[in-house]
Amino acid sequence: MSTIFWMIFQVVAIALVAPLFDGMARVLRARLQSRQGPPDFFQTYRDIVKSFKRSRTAPKCSHWVFTYGPFLLFSAGAALLAAMPITYSGLETPIGYADIFVIVYIGALLRFFFGVASVDSGNPFAAVGGSREQMLSVFVEPVMIISLLVVMLVAQTSNLVEIQQMVRSGEIGYQIPAFAVASISFLWAMYVESGRNPYDLAEAEQELQEGVLGEYSGSDFGIAHAALILKQFAMIGLFLSIFEPWSFENPILALAIFIIKAGIFYVAAVFIDNFGPRFKLLSGLKSNAIAALSVSAIALVLYIVGA
Amino acid sequence: MEQVYIIYLIGCVVSLLLYKENKIAAKVGFGLSSIASGYGVFYFFSNLGVTQEFVLPKVFLFNPHFVLDPVGNFFSFVITLIALAASVYGIQYSQEYEKKGSLGVMASLFNLFVVAMLLVVSSANVFWFMIFWELMTIVSYFLICFNDSKTSMKATIIYLGIAHLGGALILSAFLLMSAQSGSMEFSSFTTVSLSPTMATVIFLLAFAGFGSKAGMFPFHVWLPKAHPAAPSNVSALMSGVMIKVALFGIIKFCLWLPLMQWHGLLIIVIGALSALLGVLYALTQHDYKALLAYHSVENIGIILLGLGTGVYGLAINSPTLATVGFLAGMYHILNHATFKGLLFLGAGSVLYRTHTKDMEVLGGLAKKMPYTAFAFLIGSMAITALPPLNGFVSEWVTYQAMIQGAIGEGVSSRVVFTLSVVALALTGALAVMCFVKVYSVIFGGTPRDMKIFEKAKEAPASMVIGMFILVFGCFAFGLGANVVVENIMSVVSTFTNNSYMATAGTAIKSPIGSVVSTQFIAIILAATMALPFIIIVALKANRTEPRKTDPWACGFKYSSRMQMTASPFTGDLRRLMNWLYKSETHLEDQGYFKPVKYETHAKDIWWSYLYEPVIKLISGISDKTAKMQNGNSGLYSAYILGALFLFLGLGSIL
Repeated sequence: MSTIFWMIFQVVAIALVAPLFDGMARVLRARLQSRQGPPDFFQTYRDIVKSFKRSRTAPKCSHWVFTYGPFLLFSAGAALLAAMPITYSGLETPIGYADIFVIVYIGALLRFFFGVASVDSGNPFAAVGGSREQMLSVFVEPVMIISLLVVMLVAQTSNLVEIQQMVRSGEIGYQIPAFAVASISFLWAMYVESGRNPYDLAEAEQELQEGVLGEYSGSDFGIAHAALILKQFAMIGLFLSIFEPWSFENPILALAIFIIKAGIFYVAAVFIDNFGPRFKLLSGLKSNAIAALSVSAIALVLYIVGA
Repeated sequence: MEQVYIIYLIGCVVSLLLYKENKIAAKVGFGLSSIASGYGVFYFFSNLGVTQEFVLPKVFLFNPHFVLDPVGNFFSFVITLIALAASVYGIQYSQEYEKKGSLGVMASLFNLFVVAMLLVVSSANVFWFMIFWELMTIVSYFLICFNDSKTSMKATIIYLGIAHLGGALILSAFLLMSAQSGSMEFSSFTTVSLSPTMATVIFLLAFAGFGSKAGMFPFHVWLPKAHPAAPSNVSALMSGVMIKVALFGIIKFCLWLPLMQWHGLLIIVIGALSALLGVLYALTQHDYKALLAYHSVENIGIILLGLGTGVYGLAINSPTLATVGFLAGMYHILNHATFKGLLFLGAGSVLYRTHTKDMEVLGGLAKKMPYTAFAFLIGSMAITALPPLNGFVSEWVTYQAMIQGAIGEGVSSRVVFTLSVVALALTGALAVMCFVKVYSVIFGGTPRDMKIFEKAKEAPASMVIGMFILVFGCFAFGLGANVVVENIMSVVSTFTNNSYMATAGTAIKSPIGSVVSTQFIAIILAATMALPFIIIVALKANRTEPRKTDPWACGFKYSSRMQMTASPFTGDLRRLMNWLYKSETHLEDQGYFKPVKYETHAKDIWWSYLYEPVIKLISGISDKTAKMQNGNSGLYSAYILGALFLFLGLGSIL
């Protein structure tokens, strides 16, 4: 049971800190774009708190999937984060949760409710956002799964805790060429999944990733927004758990280190984010996806021939 | 086991005798099949690991001997489970067909269909197997005919055509087999020794024959035409279990034959192709029943991935790999039967209340049919393998099996296994897209046709109960995964001599050491679901009742025509994959004041590549040979004489 405690603990801790990094990213982005931007790093907290005070509207046509959508999204996003073995890595034997396929399919759960809620809202832009999110996943899924597959084959398990320990102990790692190449394509997949420019821009036009947010308001909006931030952290966390797992034994310290590492990635992504045009789904993204797919295919070939 | 069969047969006869009392016949017929199925579910489950047999008196032809081994028990359980839901559902659903035909006949055929499937599974020799196999096909054909229409006529003929091709291949495989063993009894097949060439020929014949019935690529073309044409509770049976009976045939042959590695790899490749192509074609469908039928192609592919891994494991003498492969395949057989049955029943309820199969005119039905919507949502989540429901567990085991296969040495097997894992993952992503589309376009959003929406209301009680039996199944087989795995393992280990434990407490363990526990996943999801409520309380959020408005349309007046429909939702994908769809776009400008007409229809290109040339050739040949049949009786006697001479001549030469 202590594992459950640590899982929930790390979710709560990250949920509390994540808006801070979002605030940092926003300040940095504003500076890079020569805008004034938010006054300090705490703007995202203020936004969420403010949205909780407002009253809500809901489309007439929507039913309970839309109404409870934010809770379902939050649940899936937080469950993704709970699956990262950050605080509970060495604590007890695996209990059947921190598994790569569980993570991939909880990601699908989030996407499912995202899509259903967006079409259920009846809002044309939200629905385009929902459709786009599904398309993105079609591009990203092969790259992500090939990279993960190479890791799983090298480690001979799909258990994330064990994989992490193997990488930490140096049993598997960058000395294996397939693993090293897979890390590149996986980083790309994670970047796209975390909803950034040039593939997506979380706070831009309505038909983009957060299209579903278009119809939410008040506390629903706050929760859904927080859910998407959690998902972005989970995606960065997945990369860190497999490819950069160094940390402390002590769960609290490990969590602190994780948050700092993830935060650095989250904020640093702004640099990529800022210096690219936005891609059209079927041209820019497609060619990039093919490039990433080839990188992951190289990793797979390296594994198959036994390198 | 005889009792189960007998109750079905009684149901068959009684409902036929009541054919004049239409309403009573339906209630009695489907009621009796519900009783038989309920008893069957209980009976086959409690006797899962044992072998039973019974012999009918010799007055019947060919030694009527029936044996149910553990594998047969498992399939009988699956058949009766779906039959239970479909017959409870049918009690009121059949009213729909009151004016189209006799409900007594329908209920009678329904009973006969179920019993034919059960007897295929329990037949112990070639003769009875083929008799019931063909009976199953013919009866399902008659059941499709209840939905008589112009399009369904063509669909059923295609179905019969491919079923006969398959039947011929299966029969050839059986005859070759019995020629080698010298007996028609299945029991003699287990000990027969075959040359590798002969084994390969028989394997290919049986795989193609059963595969065509199972709807695997490239024999899938009949499935999306025939299944939607049937009444929905029959579709549920056809898609849920009839195609699984074909897989039963594949499993049986694989246990008899000396297997080679590439047999397993061939099954996996075909499985991966079926999965990917099935879901890609499903995505472009507007007819929600055809869409579900294409998903059957996909899921047959996923099952074949598991079974193929099992066959590969048998071929390389790795009991662990064989066990986990067959476990994955059979678990997915059970799961697919459950959720596909559920989805077809749900689709039937929508059809029952709206009388249209085109999802583009539906919308917002969740308000009118909340129970159906909930059942359909659970079915969609299960089929897209979302944790903690049942589809997830079997796909997880399939992944584990294939990863274990890919760890082994050998470049060809590594290539096949790794690419199949990728195909399965991509299939998963596409399936999510597809079911988001189906569920939300039918049940969410604003109604697209107010007339249909106004008339719609919740389905009658027996239909809702029928669906909720399977909703319960989706939860039970997901959350109770350890129990299901233990039971399937008791079946699988009868032929694989495995040595590994698949369960650890409430969790499932794969041989490579990965562990998953759906109960734990459910706990975590429930716990994280509670977090936002805590946040709401802590921040003293404003939770007054939301104001009901029209959706925001950027300042324009909202119209329901603005909202997303099914085809644009997958429009980007259709453009991306147009080489596969070859869709034709019709654009018609009707002047400034009228909406532009825009239609696209994706085609199943395999139909035009593989089937149309053959059909054209055959109809060309028959046009030419038709000249022989000119109605002149003198000419016909000449044919008879000619044939007689030919055979006499042949007889004297040989």
